[in-house]
Amino acid sequence: MIAARGVADPTPAYYPGCSLDGLGNPYEVSARQVLAHLGLKLERIVDYNCCGATEVKNLSHDVSLALPSRNLALARARDHHEVVAACSGCVYSLARANEAIADEPTRMRINALLEEGGAPTYDGGASVQHLLEFIYRRAGPERVRAAVRRPLTGLTVAPYYGCLYTRPRCYTGVGKLAGTDDPIHPHFLDELLVACGADVARDFRAKTICCGGGHALSDLDVSVAFSASILAEARRAGADLVATICPLGEINIENNLDRVRAAYGAEVVRPVAYFTQLMSLAFGASLREARLADNFSRPDRLLRSRGFT
Amino acid sequence: MPIVEKSLVEVDRNDSVKLDGIDVSGDWSAFLRSRVVADLDPCILDWVKDQPLGSTITRCWQCGTCTASCCLHTDYGMAEFNPRYFLYLAKIGYATELRRYTNTIWRCLSCNKCVERCPKGVKVEEVVHAIGRYLRVTGAAPESPADRFDRAFTENLLDRGILDEVALFRTYERLEGRRTPLREMLRMGVRLFWSGRLRTGPFANRTRGWNRMREVLRARLAEDERRALSTASPVRAGAGGTR
Ligand code: SF4
Ligand code: SF4
Repeated sequence: MIAARGVADPTPAYYPGCSLDGLGNPYEVSARQVLAHLGLKLERIVDYNCCGATEVKNLSHDVSLALPSRNLALARARDHHEVVAACSGCVYSLARANEAIADEPTRMRINALLEEGGAPTYDGGASVQHLLEFIYRRAGPERVRAAVRRPLTGLTVAPYYGCLYTRPRCYTGVGKLAGTDDPIHPHFLDELLVACGADVARDFRAKTICCGGGHALSDLDVSVAFSASILAEARRAGADLVATICPLGEINIENNLDRVRAAYGAEVVRPVAYFTQLMSLAFGASLREARLADNFSRPDRLLRSRGFT
Repeated sequence: MPIVEKSLVEVDRNDSVKLDGIDVSGDWSAFLRSRVVADLDPCILDWVKDQPLGSTITRCWQCGTCTASCCLHTDYGMAEFNPRYFLYLAKIGYATELRRYTNTIWRCLSCNKCVERCPKGVKVEEVVHAIGRYLRVTGAAPESPADRFDRAFTENLLDRGILDEVALFRTYERLEGRRTPLREMLRMGVRLFWSGRLRTGPFANRTRGWNRMREVLRARLAEDERRALSTASPVRAGAGGTR
């Protein structure tokens, strides 16, 4: 079989990324609760910097590689072999740097930049994975089921994976390395939600379509249309709410809700929540503890009406 | 059981069919008026394949998988957004035709479906951005909203090492001459404040020890921009015109 992720690391590094320390903070808080419940440990990268997402590469190739490489170098300096990120955009750009610096001239150029900037250099060896994959592989549905105190019974959830959790496999390794998700028909999130007692909208066909987040501000009509099509498909598939694994997707869809309502009707709109918020709820956290009232789409209201407190 | 062969093309001959004054009876290729594209510009391919983002363009064998998978083309239905065609035009250097898409190419959402599915390992999303950049640096395309966003995003994050999302939102709105009503901004601000997420301006997150890195990366950014400008020769007027 094909190679697995890097050397098994008892406590992988955790790369938060800008969003988890900013607008996506409910994701970080609930992720910490989930990890604690499952007895999983991550070590936060101290003094990390922005990974550059998909934007910086359009201006400068070297800067777009130096930014993520600095973070991977910090992880390696603490002897980590695995790096976990909760944002799909971060997974993409960190993994992209790994692929690019395998080329020696590129690596030397990037390391010269890092050195000049006073950062440790990076020679590879920090494998990058998404938080969803980490939870699935390290705990798995069985341990999640055992940790559930308040099953999400009666709740139908649309599992939305978006773009960069799996794509492209030449960077993320998903679908290429052993034990990773299926890039065309991903199912890790489905299984974790089922383990939490939720019903998963089985026929939800918008799992991996784009949310338009790449142009959340720069091409409004397109991003509203994509947000609306995800919500409309969730409705068609009978879902009460949408679970996301990416702060850009979450914030883009939520930011577009008023426009979706105006253009496509209020009945299309569904609340959107991070998967870790739903898992934390199932593990016994209150709506407030799981920060469900902080999402702009207010999933707490729906959940309260279903008897969750 | 015998296999009965059916004719796929119905024989439909008429002795005098004329289209646009051309006699096309019995000869389908007569439909195609012969056309010569003159003065194709090989500089486009040379420039694109020399860019780190564009280097995989030469692997493309024009199968069209990228276009069929493209979320803009297929899911959204933007028929004129056709990555396979953009690569084709760049490869043959058909500048006039490529220029018809200056307001289309920048719309790529970086969803990476094309890269995931390309059977030839072309990093289509990156090549599409390289072609878009070629049009911009040669002056064939004006700065697009995506260009402005990329720049605002990059400058914002280089400042402190960590992105200030709220400031980025406001800077970008200013660049586009848009303005979210003050009431709405306040409403958002209050919610962010109470949930401890108003980390902007003086309260923004920052990376410790970033100063040196900021200068180094800013210098490289400027250098790359200069190099992109100096290596691209302006699109020749009339290059790739038809006659
Ligand atoms: S999928 Fe790849 S090989 Fe096929 S047309 Fe697109 S870029 Fe070319
Ligand atoms: S990355 Fe761009 S070109 Fe590729 S499928 Fe997505 S929108 Fe289309």
